[in-house]
Parts: sequence; structure tokens; C-alpha cells
Amino acid sequence: MNTSLSRRHFLRSSSALIALPFLESIGFRRFASAAQVAANPKRLLFMGLGWGLTTETWFPDPKQAGADYEISKGLEPLARHKADFTVLQGLTHRFVNAGHCGSTFWLTGANQFAVPGKSFHNTISADQVAAEHFGLKTRFTSLQLDCGTYAGNSGHGPGLSLAWDAGGKPIAGQKTPVEAFHRLFSGENTPLEKRKALLKRRHSVLDTVLEDAHDLQRGLGKNDTAKLEEYFDGIRDIETRLSKDEQWLEIPRPKAPMAEPKPGLAGYEEIKLMYDIMVAALQTDSTRVIGYRQPVDTLLTSLDIKVAPHDMSHYHSTMAEKFDASQRRDVANSELLAGLIDKLKATKEADGSCLLDHTTIAFGTNTRTEHNGDNCPTLLAGHGAGLKMGQNLVLPKGTPLCNAWLTLLKGAGVPVERHGDSTGVIKELIA
Amino acid sequence: MKLSLPLSAFVLLSAVVAQGAALKPAVGVNERHRALLTENCEGCHGAEKQKGKFRVDDLSFALNDLQTAERWQKILDSLNSGEMPPEKEKQPGAKEKADFLEDLSHVMVAARRSLSDQHGVITLRRLNQREYRNTLRVLLGADMDVSELPSDIDTTRFDTVGAGLFMSGNQVEQYESIAMKALDEAFALHAVAGGQKRFRYEVEETNKKFKETIDTELEKHERASRWVKAVDEAASKPENAEIVAELRKNAKNDNFFRRSWNKIPGAPAPEEFGFTTSENNTDQANRAFARGPAVFAYQMRYLEQPALDTGAYLTISDQDGGLNSALFLNIPGDFPPGDYVIRVRAGVTPQATPERRFLDFGFKGRSRPVTSTHEVTGTMENPEIFEIPFHRTLAQRDQNAYRLYIREKGTADSNEQIKQKLDQGKKRNGVGPDFAIWVDWIEIERVPESETSTPPGIRALNIVLDDKTPAPKAPELRAALERFVIEAFRGNKPTERYMDRVVALYEGARADGSKHSVALKETLSVVLASPKFLYRAEPSPTEERRKLRGDEMATRLSYFLWGAPPDADLRALGESDELLQPRVLAQQTDRLVNDPRSMEFVKAFSRQWLNLDRLDFFQFSADLYPKFDFGTKWAARQEIYETLAYLLRENASVRDLLKADYVVINSLLANYYGIAGVKGDGFRKVPLPKDSPRGGLLGMAAVLAMGSNGEHTSPVERGAWVLRKLLNDPPPPAPANVPALTRLAGKVLTTRERISAHQEDAQCASCHRKIDPVGFGLENFDAVGLWRTEDSFQARDNDGKPLPNGKKTWVIDPSGAFHRGAAFRDFNEMRDVVASRTDAFARGITSSLIEYGLGRPCGFSDDELVESILQRAQKRDFGLREFVHALIQSEAFQIK
Repeated sequence: MNTSLSRRHFLRSSSALIALPFLESIGFRRFASAAQVAANPKRLLFMGLGWGLTTETWFPDPKQAGADYEISKGLEPLARHKADFTVLQGLTHRFVNAGHCGSTFWLTGANQFAVPGKSFHNTISADQVAAEHFGLKTRFTSLQLDCGTYAGNSGHGPGLSLAWDAGGKPIAGQKTPVEAFHRLFSGENTPLEKRKALLKRRHSVLDTVLEDAHDLQRGLGKNDTAKLEEYFDGIRDIETRLSKDEQWLEIPRPKAPMAEPKPGLAGYEEIKLMYDIMVAALQTDSTRVIGYRQPVDTLLTSLDIKVAPHDMSHYHSTMAEKFDASQRRDVANSELLAGLIDKLKATKEADGSCLLDHTTIAFGTNTRTEHNGDNCPTLLAGHGAGLKMGQNLVLPKGTPLCNAWLTLLKGAGVPVERHGDSTGVIKELIA
Repeated sequence: MKLSLPLSAFVLLSAVVAQGAALKPAVGVNERHRALLTENCEGCHGAEKQKGKFRVDDLSFALNDLQTAERWQKILDSLNSGEMPPEKEKQPGAKEKADFLEDLSHVMVAARRSLSDQHGVITLRRLNQREYRNTLRVLLGADMDVSELPSDIDTTRFDTVGAGLFMSGNQVEQYESIAMKALDEAFALHAVAGGQKRFRYEVEETNKKFKETIDTELEKHERASRWVKAVDEAASKPENAEIVAELRKNAKNDNFFRRSWNKIPGAPAPEEFGFTTSENNTDQANRAFARGPAVFAYQMRYLEQPALDTGAYLTISDQDGGLNSALFLNIPGDFPPGDYVIRVRAGVTPQATPERRFLDFGFKGRSRPVTSTHEVTGTMENPEIFEIPFHRTLAQRDQNAYRLYIREKGTADSNEQIKQKLDQGKKRNGVGPDFAIWVDWIEIERVPESETSTPPGIRALNIVLDDKTPAPKAPELRAALERFVIEAFRGNKPTERYMDRVVALYEGARADGSKHSVALKETLSVVLASPKFLYRAEPSPTEERRKLRGDEMATRLSYFLWGAPPDADLRALGESDELLQPRVLAQQTDRLVNDPRSMEFVKAFSRQWLNLDRLDFFQFSADLYPKFDFGTKWAARQEIYETLAYLLRENASVRDLLKADYVVINSLLANYYGIAGVKGDGFRKVPLPKDSPRGGLLGMAAVLAMGSNGEHTSPVERGAWVLRKLLNDPPPPAPANVPALTRLAGKVLTTRERISAHQEDAQCASCHRKIDPVGFGLENFDAVGLWRTEDSFQARDNDGKPLPNGKKTWVIDPSGAFHRGAAFRDFNEMRDVVASRTDAFARGITSSLIEYGLGRPCGFSDDELVESILQRAQKRDFGLREFVHALIQSEAFQIK
């Protein structure tokens, strides 16, 4: 049987919604390279903060709604970018009533208990919705970065990164700057012919494991078949990536616009490096959607804070050093973000505009302070989605967080009408 | 039928069930709370007003569907957050509200459990991270680092639950690449299977180096002193007074002053005293002058010790490995991968106090994690040899990681700890810490692989694995691959089409120019990323429940008790279906439990059942808790495993986990707990003195330390843990959006005073009135589980600095009462109450075992199963092994 034919059949029969690049590409047809993109593409960055932040000092005064507001203590380092970001207040994720998962449902808006007979359920995250749309044009559909240590210590909750796929399954991320750097910029030493042969072999490998999967599936009932579907989905993902590799095979990888990171950095310096890598990824148009589940525990250690991360979020009981630690963490986060915005401003596109003009950053978490899931701290920055920046936007209490994601996605040009539990776009946010 | 719910949450059992299918209970809110809703909510949320499109008047009190559950969740959330009833509206009474919240939160947990009940259906299970690692180790003899794979512990209570075991494309590729490395490892191991190697390091070599270093330093110091004296003499001449005064004025100290020696007439150059380097010799001489005998006092004391010609002492130093603060054994470069044994011959000195008789062993470097801690049982006169097993991998060699270390226990966990120990030692004798351990030598020896220990995967191949002889012919190769596939698939035969593809992979690689060994490994790594290897399939196409086949049973049993595939004996019994006979099944259960490999079950189960990962969430402050070092923490965790292993081995009662007159400890922990007469590293049953607070989980250091944040105890964490794990009455998950208690911040209060604020708000009181008293009863144990009678609080400023008048010290009052239950005066009485509830505890263990063993949540539909296991276990006084037997003999364990 013709291998590629059967694979095509397999891909077409897939019920999952995957936007497949056209299959003629298996013949190594050259796809548009980064340099040939006409308009400046839109980019999205998502940064999850796990254990929340300091409610009292991070949010600007809600009484000063609008553009004329005084910058809060926790946002102080961002003052120079005041016109480039908007803080949203009043956003809520109505289904989250557990205190230790700042990231699990942050971008999905799912109800953990939505499916009878299951104790855990999730749905696609906003970054992946965007990736389905933007990802076709870049070497990497999206990039997931993740804190290097156990994510539970940083208050992120279940998951492998911020991203959840179309089936609500967790997507794994790159855990260190070194790993992320190599994924983006390494691996071009092998000669083209050899790489072609390797790709061909990859297809044979997938055909082999699929043969076994089909055999296994024949004996399974409905429930187990649904579980095994994850394996098929996984192979499909690899297939998609391979056909993408084929499209990109003859286009050399971009030269890294930064030095190879040193291993072993943790906390503040690690986050800073990850941000550099994000900029490098956007700059080389390697991907247009990036999510980052940021470390909290090692950030504290690197700031010489001795308070344990979970304890810190419960600062109300004693205030003092826990409260101080919480605020110092906020300032560090804002400094890092301000540094990232500096870089995005400094990186110019061909037409003289800067990266920040075409990028939108979503920065926040599902856990505000302690176990609070209401008024999810949300900061949007950048001008890539036609959103109104420079605002202290105070929304009616209980506005679905997913309304913000919907507004963001639509603004960036993703054809989507709803996301998670959204009820509509946030009109006040649209420029 | 008993249920672990508060009485006020009722459970209806609709008994009409067809064909013995599971009972379907409904969860509901007690009618007595209707008044609260009618009086406080219906005004706005009734049929007429329907504010916020939410009404309670038509709300069903039985939570049979998700919609109803969501509506009740909304009521719970808005009461918890204080949002409802609005401030200006009528409020329910505090107690009434607390009772309602308590009931409703439990009902919500029950409803979630009921609605997510899988009714006995086991979702297809993938090998989880640790099973995958174990399986590779068994199949190939290669111990791999699998930390890049998902840990599988996040979304479900146990990592065996199929529904929580996800798969992704990334993962498939990771499996393939880990398998490739494992095959590299396995092939390399096989190539040197019989190889023997031994290397002994006589550690006294280090002493010579010290002596030389010290001699050099002191000789330099002597020359520098003469130079300084000469400069001083020149400076003291009256004719130089003016110049000297000017120089002195500009010099910060003597060193700076002497830098200008050449401006002082008659002062000699340091070069005249032998300081002739290419660097600044004045600075060299100044430095040597500063480093005199006083600086090297500790080193000189070391060199005065006896027996330096045959061995060396372990010291404490702030320089990494300086002056034998660790002794390193460098594994010779030509030592192949494989199993090794490390031997250390050592003895304690007369100065060694009881807590200074232990060695930490580790790999790579002194500051790297301790892998084990050992008692030095010998003395300098009669040193003893102890052995540490060690597995050397190819990966280690490739990473150039070849350094093993031993150091005195707890002398280099953190810089904080080193400083503390140095200061203590100096304070005692003015020089430095006494030398407690003398080491004669360290040795490493390879344990050769015997014919029978060839891993089954390699044995199944049974063809040439290297490229020294010609590769096997096609039919031979195909047969070899097929044998490997069957072994990897745990006895399942692959289809011909699969084998065609596998063979084609090998041939394709050969055609592309790969050598036989490489093509073979690449091909096998694909087999190890195939679904039949990764999933434990129990096919059942018709959706009907069916009995397991013998081979499926063998797999289920061995993954349950070993976390690994069945061995040859078990597989044979499975394939012949003999295993399906209850008698044979029981025999095999006993055999697997008696095998040391069952430690995998003990560890994985208890780690997750008791949430032991929390022990790693915090760093324990070396300043506050110097005794709780890495080695002690390791042993404390081990105590839990060893105690469970003891219960399982001896079929001893699980009630011993609540209260016992013995502990299962080694000498390290005996020393920590202050129990005399225990020697050696092995854990064993030790009877307790009458007045000891130990015995049972509540007296274990690891359990108590988990209920702290590394600095302070947390009565709330401890109380909740006791309710969850021992009393089988878990508090509902911490609700979101409860208004914070800020009123007490900055005040100088006792722990009890601070926490008692929970009783003020109904939202808090609803759970904390149950949790907190239990935690208070444990307050006599400090954050690392040592007994105390006093505690203190220090208020601090934002920088963590103590505030003046901010300290309060108090005598601990452990008395209290269980919510709606017995009062207790102290820890012992509280523990007695807990121990009196063996039934509840046993029920909790049972549902956890079901969940772990069957790989699915334990739902209401399992009540009958729980009951039958309990009945059988109770007949044997709740012996732990009895639970395991009962579960394995149950129908649930034997059907798909």
C-alpha cells in the first residue's frame, strides 16, 4: 500500500479540527518564508503568574478609572510604558472555585466538572485558538515555555504549560532557556539530503506505530477508544509538524539574534532570558504565539526572599515580611515585563514600525491573592490587536475573563465568535 | 451501609438495579436548610423577582445533574465570598450559616464524586512515568532519567488512574528518544556483562597534600613576618618619622602602608624575602603575613591527629571539599556502566558525639543531593566496612560525571548550615569542629552480570548486537525482532503487518547506510513507542463487562504490586490461566508482596495517599532546625515507607498507623527521636519507652514536618491532614474568594489566638471549627516533629527583622475538643480519640487502595466493594496485607 496515500486518508478521516497545510507540500514545495511576508504579522504573548499578586498594591485605584490614573506601586516599573498597557479589573472565571490553579483554566475558561463521569475536564486555551490561525505561516505553530521546577510550587495547578489543545489535553513546554533556544535555532548541521532521508524515515516510524495503534483499537470499547484517540491525535500532531518541516526544509533556520543562553540560571535571570528568547522568536518570525508559565518559587529565591511561595500569597494573616515579599515579587515581575516591552519597542520591522506595534501581551493569572479567583489580575500590553491601551479599565464585577480573551483574539484577527464561557467582547477595550 | 458523609447530607439509594449493575445513589441537601433559603434568599431570587436571573425557589434539593450542581455551587460561592446576602439585607444567624455552609460544601464534594462516578469502568491505562521507567529497567536493565516526561500526578489523586494519563505527540517522541538512550545503555551493558573492576582509594593521600600546603603557607608567613619586621624597623627610625607620618595619614591600614615601603629609606623589598612572583609582590607578602598559624589553626589541629598515615578525617569547611570536608572517589574512566558496590572502611573518633556518627553519600559534587546516609558503626581502633549499592550509567559517563563523595552528615546541605557548624565548633574549642569520623579507604567494585540476570529484552533478541561480526540474515533478524516485540508487549503477539513495518524500518535504516547495531536500536526504539507497549490494553469491544484473561490478570497484578511488568513465573501462570484460580492468585499475591520489589507499591502508594510530596515544598531553616538535615529528612520519609512495608510484610494491623507501642526506624532516626540502643542503617521494629509520644503516623517526623512551612508549624495543615488521611472526613477544598482575615496582622499573638479568628466568620468557621482543634492538639511537636513545651512568635518588619517588643513566648496548650465530639487534654488523649476511629481510617485506606489498584476513582457505586474489603480485613484485625488480598480477590479486580 502506498504509504503517503494511507496517511492522507488517515489525516482526512480525522475528526479533530486541525488546520492541515495542503498535502502537496510533501513534495517539498517552498512555502512563504518569513522574509516574504507582506504585512506585519500579528503576534500574541501570554504570561501566567501562578500564585497571583498583591491585591492592595498591584491594582490601580478603581476609583480612577480611565486613562487618567495614578500608577500603582506594584506597576511602578512599568510607568514609562503607561500608554502601552491597560489594566483590567473585575474579570472573573466563574467556574474556578479551587485556590491552587492559577494557570490550569486561565486561558480556557472551562468547567473542570463539565463532563459527567469525569473528574477533570478542560478545553482549548486561547493561545492555541490563535495558534491554529497564525501557526500555518511559521516554522513553529506556537511555542510553550514553562517554569523549570515543579509547577505546583508556583501555583499553576495541573497542566504542562499554559496551553491546552483542541481536545482539552495539556501541551508540554520547553523548561529552560537553553532548551527553548535550541528548539528555535539549532539543528541545521545535517546536510539537506540526509535530512530528507530522515524525514522519510520519520514517516515510516509513524506508519509503524499507527499500525499497532489500529490493531489495538480494533479490540477496544467506546471508552478506551476515546482514550486511545489521544495517541492518534499525538501522531497527527507529529504528521502536521513533519509536513511543516518539509515545507521549511530548504529554508535555512534563522540565525539566532542572541547568544546561546548559559545553563543553570533560575528565577529572575531565567525569566529575563526567556523573554529575550520570546523576542528572538518573534523577531525571526519563528512563531507568532508564545505562552509562558513563569516560575514563582525560584523567582523568590533569586530575589533572596525566604518566604515560601504559597505562604506569601496568604500574607493577610501576618502581613509584614510576607506582604513585603509579595510586593517585591510584583515589582520584579513588572520590571521584567517593562524590560520585555523595551525590547519589543527597540526591535524594528522592515517598515520602521516596532514589534510592539504588532504584538499583544496578556499578563496575569487566575489566582489573585490567597485562594481568590475573582477579579483575576489581567494586564494587556502592546498594539497588535487594536485594543485601547493606557487605561485603568474597571469592568462590572463578574465580567467573564474569557470576554477579554475573545476581544483579544478577535482584535488580532482570529475568526472566532466565542471562547470558553465568554458572553461577548469588551467594548470598552476596543480602540 | 456506612458513608463518610455528615449525617445532614443524605444519600438516597435507588435499589432498583438491573443485572447487578452498580447502585446509583443521589446526593442531596438536607431539607432542614430550606428555611434558610426561603427566609434569606427568596425575596430577591424567588419566582417574582429573579434577580440576576437566579432563583432558588424552584431549586431541586437532590443534586442529580450538573445544572443543579452548578446552581448550588453558585449559592455556596456567593455565601463564601460574602457577596450574598447583600449587606443591607437580612442575614442568617452565624451558627445557622456555618452549619449550612458545612453541609453544602460536603454535599458539593459528594455531588462531584457522584456525578463523576465511572461506575466501575476502568479507562485504558498508559504506563505512567514511574511504571514506564520501571518497565524499561526490567526489560533492558537500563535505569533511565525520565524526568522530561509528564509526572502524571496532577489531575487525579493517583498516578495510576487512566483518565488522568494523557498522551501527546511530544510525548510519543520523548518515549522514542528515551528508549533510544535506554537501548544504548543496554547494549553497552551487555557488551561488558561479565567485566570485573575494582579500585580502592587510600584516602591518607590527601593528608600529604595538606601538609605540603600548610608547610608552604607557614614558610611563606615566616618570610613575610621577617619582611614586615624589617619594614617596621626602618619605619621606626627617627629620621623617617616625617615620611612615615605622611604615609600613615594616607593609608587605610598596615597593608596599604606597607605598599609604600619603597618610600621609606632603608626598608627592604619583599623580593629580598623570596617573594618573586610576576604579580605585585608587596601584596603577596602582605597576604602571606596575614595568613599565619592562627588562620591555619584548624588545619594544624588536623595534622596533629593520630592515624594520618593510614587514613583521613572528615572535617567541616566552607570551601568546597577543602581540608577533606568531603572525600571524593573518582571513578576511573575505563569503568563501564553496570552495577557497582561502594565500600567505605571507617570508624568514629573518641570525640564523636552520638549525632556525629553518620555519613552522607552522594554523587557528582559535595553540594549535590545526598542519595543515602549511613551510620559509621566502627571505631578508629576497630573500623568497620559498610557497602552502598551504586548503578553507573552510560549517560553519567557521557556527562563526565564520575565523582562520588562522602561527607559527615549534615555538614554541607547549605551555606547557612556550614557556617552554623563552623561557628559552633569554634565556640567550643577556639579552633574548629572536632573530627568525628576517620576513614581508612573507599572502594568501588563492579558486580558482574550473570547469565540469569541478562534482562529479558536482551535475552529475547538473542542475536549479535554489535558490528564486530556480520549482521544476522533476514529470517533470523525478523524472528529476533518478533521475540523482542512480544516481550515488550508483555506477551501479546503483534500482527504480521506490524512486523512487516518493523522489519522495513530496520532494512530502511541499513539501506540508508546505518550499521547493524544502530539500525537495530532505532527499530527497537520505535517498538518502545508503540501503543501496545505504552498502554495496558484490556480489549473489550462489546462494551460488556468481562472477566480478565490470565495474561491480563498477571499484568494487572504485577503493575499493582511492583509497578512493573510480570516476571517469567507470573507470566507463565497467566498464560496458562492458572492464575485465575483464587488459590493461585492468592499465592502469587503473597509472592509478589514478599518480594523486595513490592517496595515500589509501598512507596508510590503511600507517597500519594499521604501526600508526602509536601515534604519537599519547603526548605527547613538550618538555623532554626539544625537537626533536620538532608539525611534526617531522607530517613524520616523512609520511616513511613518502612512502616508500611512492615505492616504489609507482617500483615500487621493498620490501626498501628494511628497508635502503636513501636516504631520502625534505623539508628539515625533513633538518635533523632532520642531512643537508645538502635544500631545500623537497617530499619527495624523497635519497642517504644512508655512515655514516648512516637508510634503511629502522628508521631512521625515526616508527617509533622509536612504540617509546617519549614519555619513554623501549621495547625491548619496538620488538622486538615488528620481529617483527610486518618479520620476519612476530608474538609472540602479550600473555597475561593473568602474574604481575608487582615485584622490580626502585625499583632503579637499566640498561634492559637491568631487561628481562633477563624471562628468569627461563618464562612471560615464552617470548616475550621473541625480542622483547627486537631491541629492545636499537635502543637507540642515543632516544625520538624521534635517535642517541645513552649512556642514563641516574633513580629517582624518588612525586611524580616524582629520588631522590638514583638516577641511573645507561651507554654503550649494542646487541649481542645473535636467538633461535636470528644474533648482532649493533650496530644495523647487526642491521639486516643483518633485511634478509636479505626473503622473510618480503614475505610479511607480501602477507597485509596481501590483507586490506586484499579486505576479509576472510587465512587459511590463502589460502596459494596469497600464494604466487602472491610469485612474481610476486619476479620484479620485490619492487617494491611488482608486489604490487598481482598481487593485482588474481588470481582472488580478481575473484570474489565
